[in-house]
Amino acid sequence: MYNLIAKIGEGALNLCHETGGLLHLLFMVIKSLFPPRFDPGEFLRNLYKMGVKSVPIIILTAFFTGGIMVIQASVFVKRFGATSLVGWGAGYAVFREVGPILLGLMFSGRVGSNNTAELGTMVVTEQIDGLKALGIDPMQYLIVPRVLSMIIMLFLLTIIGDVIAIVGAALFGILIADVSFAAFWTSFSQNVHVADVVHGLIKAGVFGFIVSLTSCYAGMTVRGGAVGVGRAVNNAVVTAALGIVISDYFLTYSLS
Amino acid sequence: MSIIFKDVHRYFGSKKVLTGVNMSVQPGEKLFVIGTSGVGKSVTIKHIIGLLKPTSGEVSVDGVRVDKVSEKELFTIRRKVAMVFQASALFDSLSLLENVMLPIRKHLKLKDAEVRKKAMALLDEVGMLKHAGLYPSEIGDGMRKRVAIARALSLDPAYVLFDEPTTGLDPVSARRVDSLISQLATERNAGCIIVSHDLVSIFSTATKIAMVYKGIIYKEGPIEDFHSSTDPVIRQFLSGSSSGPMETPGF
Repeated sequence: MYNLIAKIGEGALNLCHETGGLLHLLFMVIKSLFPPRFDPGEFLRNLYKMGVKSVPIIILTAFFTGGIMVIQASVFVKRFGATSLVGWGAGYAVFREVGPILLGLMFSGRVGSNNTAELGTMVVTEQIDGLKALGIDPMQYLIVPRVLSMIIMLFLLTIIGDVIAIVGAALFGILIADVSFAAFWTSFSQNVHVADVVHGLIKAGVFGFIVSLTSCYAGMTVRGGAVGVGRAVNNAVVTAALGIVISDYFLTYSLS
Repeated sequence: MSIIFKDVHRYFGSKKVLTGVNMSVQPGEKLFVIGTSGVGKSVTIKHIIGLLKPTSGEVSVDGVRVDKVSEKELFTIRRKVAMVFQASALFDSLSLLENVMLPIRKHLKLKDAEVRKKAMALLDEVGMLKHAGLYPSEIGDGMRKRVAIARALSLDPAYVLFDEPTTGLDPVSARRVDSLISQLATERNAGCIIVSHDLVSIFSTATKIAMVYKGIIYKEGPIEDFHSSTDPVIRQFLSGSSSGPMETPGF
């Protein structure tokens, strides 16, 4: 019984410690933004590395996700002749839910984990101390550019992903569900609204913020060499995924 | 003008690593901090640039209390005191030239061409100019150390700290690093603090030695004092004998 209470207490303390650490990091990031004090070169480098290089994987994921949705729906579309619902269904689901959440998770897996591993390796090889020793603030040089890049790029990638997913849905609709492009487009354009797009993009911004903060925090707090880096990457991905799913619930609830 | 430690204590939880360190270094001096592995040599020098804060005691650089200043003020001290890390700590994502250019670009208001020129001159000084376009992962340890020295010199520091600069190097590369350290002290009048176990390096380069043992500076003095010492602990360390009075952490 005593051990159980001790474990609960230890867990609670750890949770408080991690939450405090994340909030402290958030405070430092905000502090570095007013007035803006971050490295523009690193910012551009990260925009390219995190965003532009993610475009191919985002396109592939989005295209097939759009297609999968139509394949799943095609059984019922054919049975009930509901071709007029395909465009709406695909657009509504992609813009509001599937696009941001799937791309957010994909982004976390590709960019967030890479970011944690990179920062963690810099910690264990004393590169962060090296920066400090050169009188360069790691917050301004490394963290703020990464946080901003991730938020901006996930937002932009979600726009690209949304468009590609709709193209995929339309194409698979024509090929598999016998839905003409005209029928798809009519259904899509008449029923999907700007609010649906905005709904998804707000989520993308929040997910980008979650991935950036959790991955930077996990990377900067690495302890224990290569094993510690591996553990940190694992923690970052799991924390970001949980953060995305939980925040998605609250965002869906509050924005609907 | 000096770096001064006054009764510095540093604890990590219940582990007492430093229990009253007192030492000083002047410009132009080459102070070697020696002692067994895990005794707290690197911990000691990290206090000078505020990477660690003492549990108690004072560390000052040219009269400024490092242990009292804010993180922002520390950056001013760090421009004055450069550090070469044990694993070089070059930035993997930057080329060797970019590594040296980074602090110059950040701190000196120079045009891009001037930044590049200064960085290339520094790389030339350490014999690394022809490799300027390579990345840290593409060169060996000795070359990385030399680039790290070039980077450390980029802001013309008054003091340079070296954490085991010759560890893991072949004898030839190690002696080249030694001569770079000597050049620094003689030509630039920089105060150098070098953490080392390398006896060849110590006795060929040092002007002063401080031996860390049991959390304190066990002995500090000119090289001759160590040569002529009859203290059994110092004799054991210098002879590298496994038997003797010396206590070694972990053994």
